[in-house]
Amino acid sequence: MSEHSLRYIDNGSFFTRIDALSKLLWVVLVILVTFQLTDNSARLVMLGLLFFIMIFLARIPFKSVWQAMPIILIMGTLLFFVHLFSTPSTSYINIAGFTLGQQGFDKGLQYFLRITIMVLASFILIWTTDIRDLMVGLVSIGMPYRYAFTVFMALRFLPVVQQEVDAVKAAHAIRGRAARSPLQHRFRLWQRYMFTVIVNGLRKAENTALAIESRGFGAYPDRTYTKQFHWTKTGIALILFFILFAIALLLWERSLI
Amino acid sequence: MSTPVILGINLAILVALGAIAKTVKSDPTTKGGFNFNYTTSDLVIMAVLGALAGVINTWMGNIWYAANTVSPIYGAALQGTFMWAYVLAYFLVRKSGTMLIIGLIEASVEALLGNQAGLSTLGWGISQGIGAEVVMAFCMYSKFGWLALGLAGAGASQFGTVWSFILYGWTSLQDYLIAAPINMISGFIFSGLLGYYLGKMIEKTGLLRSTRRKEE
Repeated sequence: MSEHSLRYIDNGSFFTRIDALSKLLWVVLVILVTFQLTDNSARLVMLGLLFFIMIFLARIPFKSVWQAMPIILIMGTLLFFVHLFSTPSTSYINIAGFTLGQQGFDKGLQYFLRITIMVLASFILIWTTDIRDLMVGLVSIGMPYRYAFTVFMALRFLPVVQQEVDAVKAAHAIRGRAARSPLQHRFRLWQRYMFTVIVNGLRKAENTALAIESRGFGAYPDRTYTKQFHWTKTGIALILFFILFAIALLLWERSLI
Repeated sequence: MSTPVILGINLAILVALGAIAKTVKSDPTTKGGFNFNYTTSDLVIMAVLGALAGVINTWMGNIWYAANTVSPIYGAALQGTFMWAYVLAYFLVRKSGTMLIIGLIEASVEALLGNQAGLSTLGWGISQGIGAEVVMAFCMYSKFGWLALGLAGAGASQFGTVWSFILYGWTSLQDYLIAAPINMISGFIFSGLLGYYLGKMIEKTGLLRSTRRKEE
């Protein structure tokens, strides 16, 4: 599901061309500023900015956004209803014929917006950034390349894990596994899948380690990359613009401007 | 209920779990000490386990989110199901910092696969990793028995709630305190014991002979 909707979309948009580190820094700033906001209207403005970036600057296809929407909205909606019904209210409002507690509604909306903003910002980063560029960027600011490589390798292993699961399932099917069986039997099968997949994965890990070491991985403190990392002017402009926007938003919600 | 209060409660719990881990008997036990000298094999093992755990936890996360938004008590019963790979990686690699690193890798994979908290998932990777590391640091990373690893799982499970609290903001301290023992039992069983027994089974396959040989 998410593997298809949540992946890098190389569409040459303005946001895609911004360097990976600036975008990562921008997401961190979005999260930090969101925690500082105290008013729901300010959070709505922030969410509006993210939608503007997603649609106009990143040009994310509608299909990808639509597929990811359940992931983005489910959590926020759940939090909204939990806080709506669990927060004690002293005043009440009427929305579409329903009487709701004012304080519960405000708190529910607060958590809905907070979570939605954070998740949407993260997804914009994923949609517009090649993970390889992000890793090279992190190495360029001092992250040891062996650790950056480990994260990158984990992502490279994902399709291998899927293939492994398919292979184990096929092996079980050949040996006469029942297509339909009681829950207890399914649980035992799942246990066997897990263990076999872990063992096969570790066997691959041993072989991979040997292969990359024989190619000189880790022999030197530094390594070179085919694609170098460079800070972009648009990236710096994004950060500066966002800082100014955040200051203005914080002052506005506190009625200081 | 504020973040410093929650942090204080959890630090006290971690210290208590660490102190217990220090006193319990453990088999196997090694010389221990801080060792951050990871071999390539260690890093690849962590990458593979991180990928596997990331896939499983992304799926499991959907169930946990639904339970946890309602109350920490419901989420607590499932909280421990996320850290089995931390304990397993530590059991296999046997070096300090392993659980924090795999926490970061696994959370990165989850974030990129579409976890509902986005990049905030990294907060759980870090907090749960730190929780397990602190418990193991108390016994100087020398114990690899089921009880010590179970306590590490409990610590990871409980300390992860600090980040859950920051994100979700529960209001009832009473609920939180009721959830704490459930969290720790869940972490002890589903992370600590599961990770330990998976490690033991993998050890029996002889798959890690080359890794162990390098250490010797």
